[in-house]
Amino acid sequence: MADTAIPSAIGGSEPAIGRGLKGLLLVAIPVFLVGWLIIYPIIAAILSTLFVDGPQGVHFSTASYQFFFSDPYSRANLALTLWTTGLCAVLLLLVGLPIALYLRFSTSRFADLVQSLAIFPMFVPSIILSYALIRTIGPNGTLDILLNAIGLPKIPSPYLTPWGPVIGLVWDNLPLTVLMLTAGLGSISNSAVEAARDVGAGPIRVFWHIILPRMGNSILVTISFTVLGIFSSFTLPYVLGPASPEMMGPFMLRTFNDLYDPLNAKTQAVISFVFCLFFGLFYVWSIARNQRSQTR
Amino acid sequence: MIRTYSSTSGRFDWTGFLFAVVLAIVIAVPLLVVFTWAFTEIWRYPAVIPQKFGLRFWNQTLSRADVWDALSISLQLSATVTALSALICLPAAYAFARMKFPGRDLFFLSFLASHAFPKFGLLVAIAAIFLQLNLIATFWGVVLIQLVGTLMLMIWIPVAAFQAVDRRMEEAARDVGAGPLRVFWSITLPQAGPTIFAAVLLTFVSTFYETEGAWLIGAPQIRTMPVLMINFINNQVVIQYGAVLSVILWVPSFIALMFARRVIGTGAFAKGFGA
Repeated sequence: MADTAIPSAIGGSEPAIGRGLKGLLLVAIPVFLVGWLIIYPIIAAILSTLFVDGPQGVHFSTASYQFFFSDPYSRANLALTLWTTGLCAVLLLLVGLPIALYLRFSTSRFADLVQSLAIFPMFVPSIILSYALIRTIGPNGTLDILLNAIGLPKIPSPYLTPWGPVIGLVWDNLPLTVLMLTAGLGSISNSAVEAARDVGAGPIRVFWHIILPRMGNSILVTISFTVLGIFSSFTLPYVLGPASPEMMGPFMLRTFNDLYDPLNAKTQAVISFVFCLFFGLFYVWSIARNQRSQTR
Repeated sequence: MIRTYSSTSGRFDWTGFLFAVVLAIVIAVPLLVVFTWAFTEIWRYPAVIPQKFGLRFWNQTLSRADVWDALSISLQLSATVTALSALICLPAAYAFARMKFPGRDLFFLSFLASHAFPKFGLLVAIAAIFLQLNLIATFWGVVLIQLVGTLMLMIWIPVAAFQAVDRRMEEAARDVGAGPLRVFWSITLPQAGPTIFAAVLLTFVSTFYETEGAWLIGAPQIRTMPVLMINFINNQVVIQYGAVLSVILWVPSFIALMFARRVIGTGAFAKGFGA
């Protein structure tokens, strides 16, 4: 994205050092904010949970981590979070991939409609979605009303069960999944697909042998992004999910705000960082690589 | 989108039809339900259609003091955050797009950090810092935490806008003697303007709906609109309050977001949301 500046551009007559300084000054405040409010808090959270104040001054201790992993309630929350995140990632791929494939290869007039519908949830804030889902699939909600009207029994409502957040999170993250997968499919050349078809490969074999190997990277980026977003999501699990066990987002908020326990809240945050470390690194690495290839 | 396959021409596109119908049901029905509830006075199970439509709950919702307080706080917060974000990020975006300075690529990528960690964990780590600085439950504490969330959007989208400006026109203007400021004002800004405006709009709307930071840092003094909505959902027996608020708040933001997407294109729009 960042193309290399042509020297004759704005300020071309100034000496190079002055220009460099001016550029640095212009980006100073946002970069400082990243350092102060992202990098520093993360390092501080890691250090302050490992080096705690004791009677003999500051000393190294893993007590808060030992507490987290020995406490059944904390472990249940972590397990629920991992279950929800994994399930949502799989469901999003299962739903998003067919839509993305359809959008990539379809010429029909339905394609535009399908795309508009698939990215529509991007325009719906999660708080309004939560409310809408409670009224729709909650107890005596619209779905129950419709089932009752045609003489079928009510559904066991997913509201306040672990399935509530799963439904909400899949709904909420569908647009980005479809967009990222469609972008990944865009790099597959038609000639490769046509060549395979010419030698008689069916749609499944084309998908398995031609398309899938070429979009492995974009599937991983999509999964990384989804995992980062869902692992510590807050609004949907808080409103739609069960009170106990709860996902890491609501758990951290309760520990921090209701129990006034910053140490354990920070420990939970660091544990979330560790579980998402691979996905975060992969996400940054792949975007940095894209930037580079566009610059060159 | 490149569409080259003509295998569907002539035949009815059942796959597309099926996708469209299923998506329409799954996505539209919950929103239609909210709209129906907002204009309903009585809707008792198991009636398929509400027993009584009406605007009674619009009056009741709009006469609640907490609704107006929350709306006022939310608008103040969004306006402050958006203005500050534009003030510090747009010059930086210009520098990233046009100037060469040491560490440029690294600094540019550093904004990814806000999306590379699980969001709520990051917020808790920031909140722990704010605890020592006595910024918890203050207006400016919420401003700061929401400002961090807008950095990437307000830098990456405008950088693309500045880079898309036709450099030959700028050079032509300079050749006929226009100064740097004049070039910026008459050539650069009109071309990059719509995209930048869309980024500002996007920042405003996404800050308005930011829930997690506002709650974690702002509670209990600073109660924004989304936080009030959560309260209505959890503790309010009158269902219609939430529905009326959803309709009032969502319609303007929806129009703003549609406009923003049209201007900056779906891909960049997704990037603004962190894709």
